Amino acid sequence: MKRDNRVLRQGANVLAIVLALLTVFPLYWMVLSALKPKGEITSAHPRPWTFAPTLDNFRNALGVSGFGRYFLNSMAVAVVVVVVSAAIAFLAAVALSRFKFRFRTTILIMFLVAQMVPVEALTIPLFFLVRDIGTVAPGFGLSSLGALMLVNLAFSLPFAVWMLRGFVAAVPESLEEAARIDGASRFTILWRILFPLVAPGLAATSVFSFITAWNDFVFAKTLILDTDHQTLPAALMVFFKPDENDWGGIMAASTLMTVPVLIFFVLVQRHMVSGLGGAVKD
Amino acid sequence: MKKLARGAALAVLAGTVATACAPGTAKTASSEDKQTGTVKVWLYDEANRAPKEQVVAQAVADFKAKHAGVEVQVSYIPTDAGPRAEKMKGAFNDPSSAPDVVEFGNTDLFGYTASGGLADITSDLASWEEGKDLPQDLKDTAVVDGKTYGLPWWLGVRALYYRTDVFTELGLSAPTTYAELKSAAEKVRSAHGDMLGIAVGGKYTFGALPFVWANGGDLATANGSAYTSAIDSEKSQAGVKAYTDLFTDGICPAQQCADLTGGKTVESFAAGKAGMAILPNSSRSAVEAGAAKGKYAIVPLPGTAAGQVAPAFSGGNDLGVMKSTQHRSLAVDFIKELASKKNQLALFDAMGNLPTLTSARAEVSQKQPWLKPFTDTIEAGTKFVPKDAAWAKIDAQNVVPTMLQKVITGKADVAAATKEAAASMNSSFSGK
Amino acid sequence: MPATTVTARADHGDSPVRPAGGAPAKGRRRSGPLARIPVPLWLLLPAALVLIPLFGYPLYQLGLLSVLKFGQPQASGGVPTEFVGLSNYTDVLGDAQFWSVLGQTLAFAAFCVVATLAVGAVCAVLLTRVGKWPRLLLMFGALGAWAAPAMTGSTVWMFLLDTNSGLVNEILGTQGHNWMYDKWSAFAMVAVVVVWHSFPFVMITLYAGIQAIPDSVLEAARLDGAGTATIFRRIMLPMLRPLLVIVVIQSIIWDFKVFTQIYVMTGGGGIAGQNLVLNVYAYQKAFVAENYSLGAAIGVLMTLILLAVTAVYIRSLRRSGEEL
Repeated sequence: MKRDNRVLRQGANVLAIVLALLTVFPLYWMVLSALKPKGEITSAHPRPWTFAPTLDNFRNALGVSGFGRYFLNSMAVAVVVVVVSAAIAFLAAVALSRFKFRFRTTILIMFLVAQMVPVEALTIPLFFLVRDIGTVAPGFGLSSLGALMLVNLAFSLPFAVWMLRGFVAAVPESLEEAARIDGASRFTILWRILFPLVAPGLAATSVFSFITAWNDFVFAKTLILDTDHQTLPAALMVFFKPDENDWGGIMAASTLMTVPVLIFFVLVQRHMVSGLGGAVKD
Repeated sequence: MKKLARGAALAVLAGTVATACAPGTAKTASSEDKQTGTVKVWLYDEANRAPKEQVVAQAVADFKAKHAGVEVQVSYIPTDAGPRAEKMKGAFNDPSSAPDVVEFGNTDLFGYTASGGLADITSDLASWEEGKDLPQDLKDTAVVDGKTYGLPWWLGVRALYYRTDVFTELGLSAPTTYAELKSAAEKVRSAHGDMLGIAVGGKYTFGALPFVWANGGDLATANGSAYTSAIDSEKSQAGVKAYTDLFTDGICPAQQCADLTGGKTVESFAAGKAGMAILPNSSRSAVEAGAAKGKYAIVPLPGTAAGQVAPAFSGGNDLGVMKSTQHRSLAVDFIKELASKKNQLALFDAMGNLPTLTSARAEVSQKQPWLKPFTDTIEAGTKFVPKDAAWAKIDAQNVVPTMLQKVITGKADVAAATKEAAASMNSSFSGK
Repeated sequence: MPATTVTARADHGDSPVRPAGGAPAKGRRRSGPLARIPVPLWLLLPAALVLIPLFGYPLYQLGLLSVLKFGQPQASGGVPTEFVGLSNYTDVLGDAQFWSVLGQTLAFAAFCVVATLAVGAVCAVLLTRVGKWPRLLLMFGALGAWAAPAMTGSTVWMFLLDTNSGLVNEILGTQGHNWMYDKWSAFAMVAVVVVWHSFPFVMITLYAGIQAIPDSVLEAARLDGAGTATIFRRIMLPMLRPLLVIVVIQSIIWDFKVFTQIYVMTGGGGIAGQNLVLNVYAYQKAFVAENYSLGAAIGVLMTLILLAVTAVYIRSLRRSGEEL
């Protein structure tokens, strides 16, 4: 019996390691290919290593193809979306989990329904809406980063609210009660008591907002017509050539695009897991 | 539950109830005509475009020398139908990020005009001195309802490129009929397993059309100004069959070729991976830059019978001025500069693009014997796509490639695939 | 434009703004001190300010466009728009391609959902059974896959599967094999990428959920003589249910709306459009064929389908006594 358990456990360990390697391999291949010299990439017999790593592909992507600029564009959009969406979602989540009011369930369901709506279909009216906004406020019209910020904000909010609600509900109300007895104002309670306690959840939620904004392909593709204001995902398409794809450049650009998300993930990883766990105790 | 249903109902209701406040129409026409600033130019990103870039850079320098305080910003846009259509659609909808000058395929002109994207340049061309040299039939390709919307910049017709070294080795001579072409292709591939007998592509509309035309078929027939698709006629079907019969494991395996575009067949032949290819004169520079350099010759694409030439698509690109431009005069000056005899000749030297100006064409034909198969093809008679706004749409929706790919991959037989394509074309022609 | 916005709001009475603008909430207040704030809807106001113009209004316009004739000539050519009733819908529903696209969208999404949940759940259970290092390794790998943007995931896998210089063909010795040539092969490859991207969410969420079950509860059950199966069914499953709801709904939402992977990997819908899913189909109709109203009609239909799926799911949850 005990022996069986040991075998089982070893088997599970091996399986986990194999799965881990399989999962991480595409990323390894991406970074490796980005570092390979040109001849090795197009070789008919690719090898999972290289003896002559080079930064040529990165230099090419950043210099020739202007990826540095697209990177900054993407960053600007993502950061604004994360910060604003966290603030707005926090307030909305408090309203939806701390109060009972008439349309509470309806509103909750609307937040859920909002996530159902196929975003890609909404690009059609949004395209015209943004175009019309542009005639009044050019900073938010077509080809502006402002438009991307607004649109991504709108589309990351429903999920952020939906997720944050659980985190807020998990904070015991007795703390607020105590603060109130001590004479704290509503704002103080919200900002000084509730906010820090929900912060881990906020971090977890931000990951999703960040991903929404950072990964967004369809809005960038539709709303940004001027290449100078392009963000990374859509800009990556320039490497796909009519004749021959520049895989080295594509992999280098892909690596540049993945690194910030990875960093973000590693930073908030602990909150994400504990936060999701917290949602269960609800 | 009810609430969920209510939310859903609302979304639909909102749409069906009101008829007011549809998205507005962009005001594309601009009244401004600035004499300074930046002229934005969109040109085609063709395979091996470096030589083209050099010619354009020179033209820009010349232009800037004549116009103080003016900058020119050139961008290269995708040539594939879908991405190109998206890009142009963006420009029509958003004047602020639209260019002032565009290069476009002569087949796109009708759709762009219907979208209200291009400026009427009739009077500008009439007063253009060098333009007197532009033959009338070419000018007519850019006319809609008596107004000119494009300046024909260069011509491209397709002919058959083949590898002389491989043909000599196998004791083959240049094919003079479709049957010879097919058997030569088979022999090439059976001798050289790593080569395509002939590089053809499921997405290569203008490679396929000559076969349709050679068999007496056509895309559509005109009835007054209204078009009806004829791609499902018996003759057209024979042409579609002739083309798709080339996608066999013995010639150009469907696995590799079903998804090829015209650009990729250029690449394939230039890289020495194909025995033959149907390429335009403008692709010669790409071939010269590749492994096939010095080992190829060109003949007109053979028709069904000996001595016959398969009618080529009379392709070419125009230069146009966007209706939304705020630099109308500068834009017109710039297209005149690009299309000047000097630059047409330079572009020919760089890319092999055939000049539109008669004198320039005569000059290069005399100088360059390799052009002969192309001029022969032109003389044998060329064909064009339907001169209808619907064509841009048919092209962007990949109607012809989809038809070809269905046959190539065995998803439908020729009859079914052509019927479906005809129905799709007809719905576009009827304005749906 | 301002006038239209007002109309839209009026039509959107049930959106979050109505309670804020209307009578103060009558709510039976809970004991929490924050309940003293007279209108909790103040807190919802910022969200409403973003969502109504940028979400509600476009949604309304989507419905509106779908009953108009609206192509490029209408959008930029000065041609007046025209009300055409339901004719866009009859066009779409009468098109055989729509039905085949719908069928393969449902099949593809269903496959992705099931595969994602299965892989994610198995990995989550695996995580609870393995030593520290294998666990960290798998967590790390999963985080990487999760973090990889849809775009880069697609490009990397495309490169791995590339016909001529792809590693997969090299390993399998199938040089020259085109993985995207066959319809189902192409769908399968895209599904692999989708699952690769989304199983980590399921895995990490469920793992966190399992970890959160107090050991004392399991211990007590074991002392009462419950077997592993019983513990799983009677204790773990009910405790994990809220989380399962989240991951199932999220998976449905994400997988049904896959766009980037299909668009990029199959070059906008595959050979002869064989790999179109509704999302890409609507996009192509609108932005490539320039038939915005037809695209909008497809979008509306798609939204309705997603709502129906969710409604069925929520109803079954409610039946089993789950609080939303």
